[in-house]
Amino acid sequence: MDAYTEAVVIKVGIAILLALGYWVTVATGKYSFGHAAFMSIGAYTASILTLKFDLPLELAMLVGGLAGAVIGAFIGWIALRLSMLYLAIITFAFAEIVRILLDGWDYVGGATGLFGMTGTTVELVAVCIAVVVVYLFFLSRSRKGLSYEAIREDEQAARACGLGVTRISVEAFAVSAAITGVAGALSAHETLIITPNLFGAPQSLLIILFVVLGGVQYFWGAIVGAVVLTMLPIWFDFLEDYYQITYGLMFVLLMILRPQGIVGRGTDRRINLGSLRELATSRRGGGGDE
Amino acid sequence: MSDVQLRASGITKRFQGVTALAEVTVEVERGSIHGVVGPNGAGKSTLLNIMSGFVPPTEGTVELEGRDITRLTPQRRVPLGMTRTFQNLRLFGGLTVRQNVLLGQHSHARTGFASLWPVPTAKERQLRQEADAALETFGLTELSRRRAETLPYGLQKQLEMARAVAARPSLLLMDEPAAGMTAQERRALVPRIRQLRDEGVTVVVVEHDMDLISQMCDVVTVLNFGRMLIEGPPDVALASDDVRTAYLGG
Repeated sequence: MDAYTEAVVIKVGIAILLALGYWVTVATGKYSFGHAAFMSIGAYTASILTLKFDLPLELAMLVGGLAGAVIGAFIGWIALRLSMLYLAIITFAFAEIVRILLDGWDYVGGATGLFGMTGTTVELVAVCIAVVVVYLFFLSRSRKGLSYEAIREDEQAARACGLGVTRISVEAFAVSAAITGVAGALSAHETLIITPNLFGAPQSLLIILFVVLGGVQYFWGAIVGAVVLTMLPIWFDFLEDYYQITYGLMFVLLMILRPQGIVGRGTDRRINLGSLRELATSRRGGGGDE
Repeated sequence: MSDVQLRASGITKRFQGVTALAEVTVEVERGSIHGVVGPNGAGKSTLLNIMSGFVPPTEGTVELEGRDITRLTPQRRVPLGMTRTFQNLRLFGGLTVRQNVLLGQHSHARTGFASLWPVPTAKERQLRQEADAALETFGLTELSRRRAETLPYGLQKQLEMARAVAARPSLLLMDEPAAGMTAQERRALVPRIRQLRDEGVTVVVVEHDMDLISQMCDVVTVLNFGRMLIEGPPDVALASDDVRTAYLGG
């Protein structure tokens, strides 16, 4: 594998890990708007351990994931009892706070960040993905996975069935943050340099888009979303300045045609061209044309 | 001697100054079907929500088997034997019929990380058999793989009952089980609830349909404007002058 291909494969692999990690919390119907924070916690924790304590990346990466899980559980415990809107605000604000703290922390280089981390290989990324996929495969066939789906469907009904909604959501959020932390660690040791700004709102948004584009219903939808969104800039390189516009238009079209994402069951299994016609009809009707 | 399984004592509930319930005390005997009736706005559903823990009372206590459960969340009441159904169905619409019933068993099943292990334990196999038996009882076996939201309304009501029964309750709270049902489905409901009682489940049922209440209940509590009017056997309670006045006005 040449260096370019290897770089692309690792980039796609890390995107898949980020998407799968995010999917775990989305499986319970909880959307975080600051998942890049867990990525940065994993990235900085692992980088400190490999750069300043000479720990091997494999171990540092696991500690990074653990740090993500602990902080994720804490944030989840505060935010997951609240409504979707508050969850969005708290997770967004949390990510900004982490970014600002890292920015002002000299030990990790402040705004200039840390550099010199290496060691992420295709094999290591592949092993991480395999572990997560196996976990999610069994999760989605277990009672635990079923309880996630129940919470996503109807929290009150879940409570009536005896499900500890907050505890289960916090647990899912912590697992999600752990996987995201590991992905952050791998990412840091691929890009050589990390700065707090790499983990801002655009990165959080990108993680959300992986899952929304791919479809939230099945975890492999998240994989599809991550692959497509990571490859798009490469495939559409020839568009140059028009790339961003094309990218935006694609999202608008997808949300009209397949609001459930690329993978997954909506109200209609087919690609829904009817909704475009409906849109056109309602426009004409609503416009009051004679 | 009376054997009180559920006691709601001195329950008062105020919503922003409006009193929905005022010092209501209800004692539910073990093994009985206890009806709660009253005109619209009498506070029936509020009482059921307080009994099941979905709404905290402003004043008063709820005791189950002599234990004060007033502050317990709904999910912590389920392992104690209390389950409920809702007036406006609350199914997991996107999940299959069987998955809904399996979720009803949550408090009996292993749901930790160990549950990810693909080989079911003996207990898990037994629970799955029970779930299939519940589907059979409620006539849902053929539909077990259908998504719950695709069932007709009457069958969705059956499914909600099947899910509640799957929790192996000793006390089942039902909020208007007959609402939205066809006449035929209503007729089938009475023997079904009686059978539950005969199997040892105490049932509290909030209902509008007076015929249904008088057919199946052992005891009836009549509420009006958040106060208890009368409590007793249905033929006595429903025939009292106070109750007639409350329903017919004047």
